[in-house]
Amino acid sequence: MANRTSRGLPAKLGLALCYVAFAGFVLFPLVWIFLMSIKNFGDIIAYPPRFVFAPTLSNYAEILFGSEAERASGQVPDLIKFLMNSVIISGGAVILSALIGIPAAYALARRRDTTSDKLRFTVLSFRFAPELVVILPLYVIYSRVGLYDTYVGMILVHQLITLPLMILILASFFRDMPIEIEEAARVDGAGIWTILTAIVVPIARPGIASAMMIAFIFSWNNMIFGLVLAGGNTRPVTMGILQAMTFDQIKWGVMAASAMVSAFPGMVAAVLFQKQITRGLTLGAVK
Amino acid sequence: MASIQLRGVEKSFGAANIIKGIDLAIADGEFVALVGPSGCGKSTLLRIISGLESATRGEILLDGRIVNDDSPRDRNVAMVFQSYALYPHMTVAQNMAFNLKLSRKDKQEISRRVEEAARMLDLVDLLERRPGQLSGGQRQRVAMGRAIVRNPSVFLFDEPLSNLDAKLRVQMRGEIKLLHHRVKTTAVYVTHDQIEAMTLADRIVVLNRGVIEQVGTPLELYNKPANLFVAGFIGSPSMNFIDARLKDSASGQKAELADGTQILLPARPFASKSGKITLGMRPENIVVERESGNMAGTVKVSEPTGPQTHLVVEAAGTDMLAIVRADFAARAGDGLRLSFSPNTLHVFDAESGRVL
Ligand SMILES: Nc1ncnc2c1ncn2[C@@H]1O[C@H](COP(=O)(O)OP(=O)(O)O)[C@@H](O)[C@H]1O
Ligand SMILES: [Mg+2]
Repeated sequence: MANRTSRGLPAKLGLALCYVAFAGFVLFPLVWIFLMSIKNFGDIIAYPPRFVFAPTLSNYAEILFGSEAERASGQVPDLIKFLMNSVIISGGAVILSALIGIPAAYALARRRDTTSDKLRFTVLSFRFAPELVVILPLYVIYSRVGLYDTYVGMILVHQLITLPLMILILASFFRDMPIEIEEAARVDGAGIWTILTAIVVPIARPGIASAMMIAFIFSWNNMIFGLVLAGGNTRPVTMGILQAMTFDQIKWGVMAASAMVSAFPGMVAAVLFQKQITRGLTLGAVK
Repeated sequence: MASIQLRGVEKSFGAANIIKGIDLAIADGEFVALVGPSGCGKSTLLRIISGLESATRGEILLDGRIVNDDSPRDRNVAMVFQSYALYPHMTVAQNMAFNLKLSRKDKQEISRRVEEAARMLDLVDLLERRPGQLSGGQRQRVAMGRAIVRNPSVFLFDEPLSNLDAKLRVQMRGEIKLLHHRVKTTAVYVTHDQIEAMTLADRIVVLNRGVIEQVGTPLELYNKPANLFVAGFIGSPSMNFIDARLKDSASGQKAELADGTQILLPARPFASKSGKITLGMRPENIVVERESGNMAGTVKVSEPTGPQTHLVVEAAGTDMLAIVRADFAARAGDGLRLSFSPNTLHVFDAESGRVL
């Protein structure tokens, strides 16, 4: 026993070091941006970087409650509008994807033949096609049919992100469910829709929740669709960051604070639902 | 309630022929057991009757009506699965009520029937629990309850007791039999356990590699097995087999074993083209004595079971199992003599395996 621990110690130390290095690699940008968001302009541009400074919440105040001019005129600050837009777009996209994706995933999971394999691959291919490939044609189409800068248009284009995620994660989840339960329901007289709504969905609720969570985070983090297809009405929170680049200056502190705010929901979800998210990601093997 | 008829039923999965032409008629109210080794197609045949699987060829009739194209719902059959397949998110009561709800029975009737079934199966105190909070035996009861509450025309059981421990299995076996006496619904019961089949069924269908080897009452199969497969499958411990040759003599036909031992056969003319036969004797029919008897043997193993003792005896170059009284003291190495009453002998053609 003692022998084993003494032999394992260097290995354990090495592993711990790797963890620390990885955590540093992942967390450093986050910490850096956070520090930036609570510095005033002078501290931000100081060189060498200052680690001791008087923290300020003025950047957060500006984005959350508006600049002095905005406050005076009673305007809603832009970032709040963008946050609402993101909630509507990502929330709407995830709900739509659930409505389409749950039946689709169920069909893919239970119909094992070459057609369904091809369909599965097609769905998967949406995930590896870079968004840049479709964005310009989509811009033209959206402008022509009037989807440009509309919630409907944004929710539709976000299906490219959320739908494949939902389908792939849920198809794996459904496939792991014992089929006898559904067969028992068939013998009990249930049709395919009753089986789906009364048996499969209730049983798969944890899987559906984690798939929706993951899809929501991926959709929330998207910027390119907002950049090209959203205008003043529907700009998502990821675009809010760019608002700090004004004509005459770049407000680094405001930008950092915006980045923190826009990343916040994802971070909270990741911490709260760590287990479900990991399970969902490994199930769908989307990473 | 309904009769079941299968006419030339075949089933292939891709290139694999699993069910190879089954003809079977099950009378209304009959309890039929489907036995056979694992993988022989029992579940597949049951699923074809239920409508979960379609037949590749042949016809399935329920109450004289061809139901090949009917969904499970339209066939009104109830099935009890080996894994129970309860709905994990529903309470026991909801599990049992699911079919009734789907067929739009009114609330009062549903609760009346669920309560009735719960009383019958001793589930009254568990109605609000979920399957996850039940023991294996209780889940099994719920699965049964889900089936009987519907008042189906046919019960289908797929090894419903194989996940229970031995004691519970015997108890549930008794309850299933009682239940059938009470409701008299046609039942097809799949099992690989021949004792379960013997004790429960009115008739047993022995299935092997997708074909029926024999159909008969439990005692018919035990007393008159049609071939070596059935002879070896029915009865526990299973029948002893010895290769022999047919020999005529003044006192009647005899079987001559490899070592020259001669055993008198029943007084029936046997004929085998090659003259080669396989002799079958059940362990419980072998007479074991110390001095007299027509075949010498040596005890290899003695296994007391309590009421009786099983002896593995080496004789005529093979091992034979014989059952003796518990007070018959025998130890490994003891010399014994075995004899066989002609009427307990089973004689099979060695080549075709069929009974002669
Ligand atoms: N859906 C299926 N696809 C392919 N082969 C199957 C399928 N279902 C059963 N089989 C095969 O059919 C044979 C009989 O299976 P089954 O009826 O379950 O046997 P049993 O219930 O007697 O143990 C097995 O060899 C099994 O592998
Ligand atoms: Mg089986």
